[in-house]
Amino acid sequence: MAMEEMVNNTATRMITVLNPAGLHARPSLAVAQTVRRSKSKVEVRAGQQTVDASDILQLLSMGVPCGAELEFEATGPDAEEVLDSLAGMFANRFGLFDGHVG
Amino acid sequence: MLKRMELSGGKVVPNGDNGNIHVYVNPDETERKYLVEKLELDEHTLASALDPDELARLEFEPNHTALIFKRPRNYSSEDMFVFKIASVGLFLFENRLIVVLSEDIPLFQGKQFARITSLQEVALKIIYSSIAHFNEHLRVINAVSDALEDQINASMENKYLLSLFSLEKSLVYYLNGIGSNGKLIERVKNSAVKLKLTTESIEFVDDMIIENQQCYEQASTYSNILASMMDARVSIVSNNLNWLIKTLTIITIAIMLPTLVVSVFSMNVEIPLEDHPYAFWVILAMALSTTYVVRLVWRWKKW
Repeated sequence: MAMEEMVNNTATRMITVLNPAGLHARPSLAVAQTVRRSKSKVEVRAGQQTVDASDILQLLSMGVPCGAELEFEATGPDAEEVLDSLAGMFANRFGLFDGHVG
Repeated sequence: MLKRMELSGGKVVPNGDNGNIHVYVNPDETERKYLVEKLELDEHTLASALDPDELARLEFEPNHTALIFKRPRNYSSEDMFVFKIASVGLFLFENRLIVVLSEDIPLFQGKQFARITSLQEVALKIIYSSIAHFNEHLRVINAVSDALEDQINASMENKYLLSLFSLEKSLVYYLNGIGSNGKLIERVKNSAVKLKLTTESIEFVDDMIIENQQCYEQASTYSNILASMMDARVSIVSNNLNWLIKTLTIITIAIMLPTLVVSVFSMNVEIPLEDHPYAFWVILAMALSTTYVVRLVWRWKKW
């Protein structure tokens, strides 16, 4: 029972995109790689769109601008951890304030 | 749009009034006129800084040096997996650096801009950040290519194949841009004395040459892999389609034969079993048995 509860753990988090160019190429790759490394299934919602956060093709197609609110929903044993990682990455702008965006 | 910056404490910081680093983002007519007439920038070179099709180059003018180099353009979801490149112009004067670019990007942030002592170094580090940007976009292209391959293996839709073609096209642009930057950096090294580069700056240029060469080789490898695998992927899509057609054909035959049997017994003439009390069930059994025969033949032939 405890195992089942752990596996079905679901967590959601609202995260704001701070990068001036929005959720562009490199942040999308970072998000997809982080989600793939986790054991949870993560979906991201922006307005009416909901996509699989492990799929870089879907993330790149979203066209999320700077300042947009994204709702991440993770389901799996490490749902909280993966959302913490994603929130941290968005908060420090993916380390991309190093002279280039895009 | 004009942003004025200055070198202070080894960093590039905003200075709205007296900054000697001027960043022009997509300059308007008045700004262009000022650049051409007051600062004596060559009109063609200035236009080159905003033209994505221009090649990277180094030009020595009487009162300044112009460096045109390539950088990746910000990816937009409307680009449909075409990663484009843009040009940037650096106009290095004795005591002033003019940067002309088409998009507003944060140019001077990050570790490499932490300990800068001269305008020449600022110019070199802007070019260096472009090489790093190319490298990062190549990683994204590789990840997108992997994701597209997975989709192609499972789907018959042309859109994924077309996206792969777009990636291949992007890599050609990137190879062209990176190669062009390579020639510019070589020229910078050869003109070190004229550009008044310090020993440290020349060593930095050597590092840039190596980084740019590695970046070029990486782009070249990705491009070759993508090009050579394209035919195989087209065959996979074609093969997937053949499987679908075959399955549909078998389903059609399996439905057609019972229909034939029933049709024959539906003719408005004298037919066998006409007066048989179980005629309906016999004909139904015959119709269904044809479907079973099709299934047997299918398995026997290992279709």
